[in-house]
Amino acid sequence: MEEEEVGSSENGEVPTAKQEEEGEQNVVKFLDSMDSYLNLLDSLSSTLRQGWLELASARHSMGASRINSTLFDLKHHAASTSLQVTQHDVDSIMNQPHFTLCKWTSPDNKKVGSEEAKFDEDELLQRKSTSPHLRHRGMQYSEIQEKRLESNRSPRIVDDQVQKERSKTLSMFGALVSPKLRAAQLSFETALETLVEIANMRSSMLSTHDQVQKVLESRME
Amino acid sequence: MYGFEALTFNVHAGYLEAIVRGHRSALLTAADYNNLCQCETLDDIKMHLSATEYASYLQNEPSPLHTTTIVEKCTLKLVDEYKHMLCQATEPLSTFLEYITYGHMIDNVVLIVTGTLHERDVQELLEKCHPLGMFDSIATLAVAQNMRELYRLVLVDTPLAPYFSECITSEDLDDMNIEIMRNTLYKAYLEDFYRFCQKLGGATAEIMSDLLAFEADRRAVNITINSIGTELTRDDRRKLYSSFGLLYPYGHEELAVCEDIDQVRGVMEKYPPYQSIFAKLSYGESQMLDKAFYEEEVKRLCLAFEQQFHYGVFFAYMRLREQEIRNLMWISECVAQNQKSRVHDSVVFIF
Repeated sequence: MEEEEVGSSENGEVPTAKQEEEGEQNVVKFLDSMDSYLNLLDSLSSTLRQGWLELASARHSMGASRINSTLFDLKHHAASTSLQVTQHDVDSIMNQPHFTLCKWTSPDNKKVGSEEAKFDEDELLQRKSTSPHLRHRGMQYSEIQEKRLESNRSPRIVDDQVQKERSKTLSMFGALVSPKLRAAQLSFETALETLVEIANMRSSMLSTHDQVQKVLESRME
Repeated sequence: MYGFEALTFNVHAGYLEAIVRGHRSALLTAADYNNLCQCETLDDIKMHLSATEYASYLQNEPSPLHTTTIVEKCTLKLVDEYKHMLCQATEPLSTFLEYITYGHMIDNVVLIVTGTLHERDVQELLEKCHPLGMFDSIATLAVAQNMRELYRLVLVDTPLAPYFSECITSEDLDDMNIEIMRNTLYKAYLEDFYRFCQKLGGATAEIMSDLLAFEADRRAVNITINSIGTELTRDDRRKLYSSFGLLYPYGHEELAVCEDIDQVRGVMEKYPPYQSIFAKLSYGESQMLDKAFYEEEVKRLCLAFEQQFHYGVFFAYMRLREQEIRNLMWISECVAQNQKSRVHDSVVFIF
């Protein structure tokens, strides 16, 4: 009743209960995505710290002559991981960019790599809205493995191919490398995935912020 | 004959043994490492090292320092000491001292060949080579396309020539072939060094046999662990193990078929000297294995100084210095990355 009275005093430009609810949902979404964004930044920082220390540990173990920047391969070769950017329509005016990581998609391994990355990204999109807490790689990897078992592809073949791609990337430091170097590689791989999550989260955050801003401006008018 | 070195050793090598024992007393102590581990910046580390024998090597380095600069300057000091000893040495000590550097020579050869395969500039690669492993025609390595050319064009005139007989093929150099070449060369070098020490006899043979056998066993374990999950076949793996050491031959047969770290542990725990090393690790874990091996090596190297009139002290000193440089590198990395809580993960105290 109070709403209707208020509505009548403001010449009919009053938000309805439904619009208010949508506005509140947008605010909650914005705060959720900001919380996830900050958590992901923390996660990225600790993953990178771990990766750099593992790299130093590998250098300590294998020797400075085996792990140094002069061994990087300058020959022309295809990227093993690529990033796709697509635009999602939020409404008739706004587009929200969406980032997808395609891991281990060398020319010989394109199909398997991109499907696996799509799995990863589907997982990431689901988690984004439901659970903003820190994700751990082990948990993610085991959940993705469960999904793989539901599909028609053999998980063993995918794992072997991914492992081969990882070893191929590390081969610039030699064919027999320390487990510490492999651990550093996994840490940096996780950091890359987290970066893409951060980019998507930031995109979502900016989009919900714009929507909240729009609602506030329309009310102030 | 063993036992009579006291009569003749000092005639030719007494001065150098005194020199190397003097150098040994200048190695950093646990108190030095505790001070270094509390440094906040690399400049603090430089300040602490200015109270040691590294002072003259670091004092002119401008800030901001980099960890590689600290390692390079400390290595320069080791190289200067080595060159002083080498130029004062007579046979057979001079040959013994040269043997100590062949490992670095092999690493340099592999670095140049790998870098060339990756289309890197030769000058850039030469700057990263270990100074103890340099030789005159090293830059010509960049020209070779396969191992046969590598041998024919360059290595035939170097001390590594005798080690190439098992490596020579016309196959083009790729990452796996280079890795097999590295390990095959090192295997041949260790076996040759072992035979040379046996020929010297006396306390040198006794002490160096123990140290080289430990080195061979450690390499076997590292090759096994690093090759798990790679394309290296069991036969190829077995061929990379040295033909001496505590693990030869039965331990090598078992290591060749290991597929994970727990199987390696199962093999090594049958040998009492290595039980204590693997007792420090939890199951499935290999991160602390390097530190455990380094600690055991340092213990054995320090024991070499308990006896006089043998060449083992020179080998022991060089290895202890290299361990000290590794410690300084690790401490510098932890300080630079603001990870001081992890500094004791890899520092091995010598005294």
